[in-house]
Amino acid sequence: MPSFWRKAWLIYRKDLTDEFRTTDHLLSTVVFGIMLVFVTSFALQLVDVSTNDVFPAVLWVSIFFMAVLALQRSFAKEVDSGALDALLLAAGDRSILFYAKFLFSLTVLLLLEAVVVPLLWVFISVAWRKADVLFLLAAIFFGSWGLAAVGTLLNAITVQLAGARLLFPILAFPLLIPVLIGAILCTQGALAGDRQSVLGWLYLLMIFDLLFTVIPLLLFDYILEG
Amino acid sequence: MQHGLKSPVFWALTLIILINMWVIVFYAPVEKTMGIVQKVFYFHVASAWVGLLALAVVCGASIHYLWKRTDQASNLALASAEIGTVFISCTLLTGPLWAYPIWNTWWTWDPRLTTTLVLWFMYVAYIALHGGDVTDTRKRLAAVYGIICFMNVPLVFFSTRWWRSIHPVVISTEGIGLTPKMRTAMFLSVAVFSLLYIHLLRIRMGSISLKHRVKRLKAQLFA
Repeated sequence: MPSFWRKAWLIYRKDLTDEFRTTDHLLSTVVFGIMLVFVTSFALQLVDVSTNDVFPAVLWVSIFFMAVLALQRSFAKEVDSGALDALLLAAGDRSILFYAKFLFSLTVLLLLEAVVVPLLWVFISVAWRKADVLFLLAAIFFGSWGLAAVGTLLNAITVQLAGARLLFPILAFPLLIPVLIGAILCTQGALAGDRQSVLGWLYLLMIFDLLFTVIPLLLFDYILEG
Repeated sequence: MQHGLKSPVFWALTLIILINMWVIVFYAPVEKTMGIVQKVFYFHVASAWVGLLALAVVCGASIHYLWKRTDQASNLALASAEIGTVFISCTLLTGPLWAYPIWNTWWTWDPRLTTTLVLWFMYVAYIALHGGDVTDTRKRLAAVYGIICFMNVPLVFFSTRWWRSIHPVVISTEGIGLTPKMRTAMFLSVAVFSLLYIHLLRIRMGSISLKHRVKRLKAQLFA
C-alpha cells in the first residue's frame, strides 16, 4: 500500500495532468483574471488616484474573485465526470483527497497569479524602487495558501448540493476576512519596503493557513461521507 | 407546548419585557454627556450578546448532530441561526443610531463592527446552506460549516482588533464602566433578551419540525 503522502501526490499529479490536457477551464479563468485587472486598473485611471495606495486592495480583490473561479474546480470536475466515488475508494483515507486537491488548487492559483500579478503591476504602474519583492512573494504565497485551503474545503461542500455552486463565494468570503486583511497589509508593507512593521500580519496569515490545513483532518470525513 | 395568546410563557415574557423597558427608560439614569441616545446601549449590548450566544448554540448543536445524527440537533442549529440573524441585525441597526450623534458617522471599520458584520454574513451563508430542501446531506454539510464559522470568529475578531479600534470598551478586565443602576439595567436586558431568545427558539424549532413532518406526510401521500 502506498503511504498517505504518496497517494496524495499521485492524485495531485493526476489532477495537474488532467487540467493541462483540457485547458479550457484554466484558460477561461486566466482570461477572466486579466479582464478583471484590466477593468479595475482602467476604472482607477479614470478617477486618477494614487496608484501605490490602491495596489494592495486591487490586487487582493482581483485574486479573491479569480479564486472563486479557480477554486471551484477541484471537486467539481470529479463530480461532473462521475468519478468522486471511485476516487474516494481508491484513496482510502478521505483527508488524502483533501490534501491532494488543496495542493492542486494552490498550484493552479499560483500559476494564475504568476500571469495576473505582473500585469496588474504594469497596468497600475507601481513605484517599485523601494519594494521588497521577496516579502511580496511571501505574502502572495501565504495568502493563496489560505484561499486554497478554505476553497478546497468549501468546494467539497458545495459540489454535493444541487444548485449550490453560487453559494461558494457566499460561504467563502466571511471565512476569508482574516486573509484579506493580512494579505493586503503585508502587500502594503512590501511596497513600502518596510517588512518589520507588517511581519506580524504574515504570522497571522501563517496561523490561518495552518488552522485551515489542520481542521480538515478532523472534519473532512464528515463532509465526504455517504 | 401552547403558543400565542394561550401560552402562560408568552404572558410571563411580555410582563418581564415591560418591566425591562421601564427599567431602561426610568430606572437607569440618563448618561451625562451622551444624553438620551445612550439608552440604545441596553438593546445594543443585549442583542449582540444573544447574537454570539446563538452562534455558540449553532456550533454546539452542529457537533451534537455530527455525533448523534438526531433531527432535533439539526433543527436546533437552524432555528438558532435564524434567530441569531435577527438579533445580530438588531445590533447592526441600533449601533449606527448611537454612532451617528456620538462618533458623527453611521459606520466605521472598527473590530467589533467588522466582526459583527462578518458574523451576520456567516449567519446568512449558514442559512443559505442549511435552508431549502431537507436532506441528510444538507444537514451534515451545514453542521460542518456551522462549526467552522464558530471557530473563525476569534480569528476575525483578533485580526480586526489588531488593525484598529475606537469602539468603547465598557466591560474590560478592569471592571465595568457603568454606574450601579446602569449596570442593573444592562444585566437585566441581557437576561431578558436571552429569555426571549430561548422562547423564540422553542417556537421556531416546533415550526421547523412541523414543516418537516408536513413534507414527509406529503411524500407518503403522493408516493
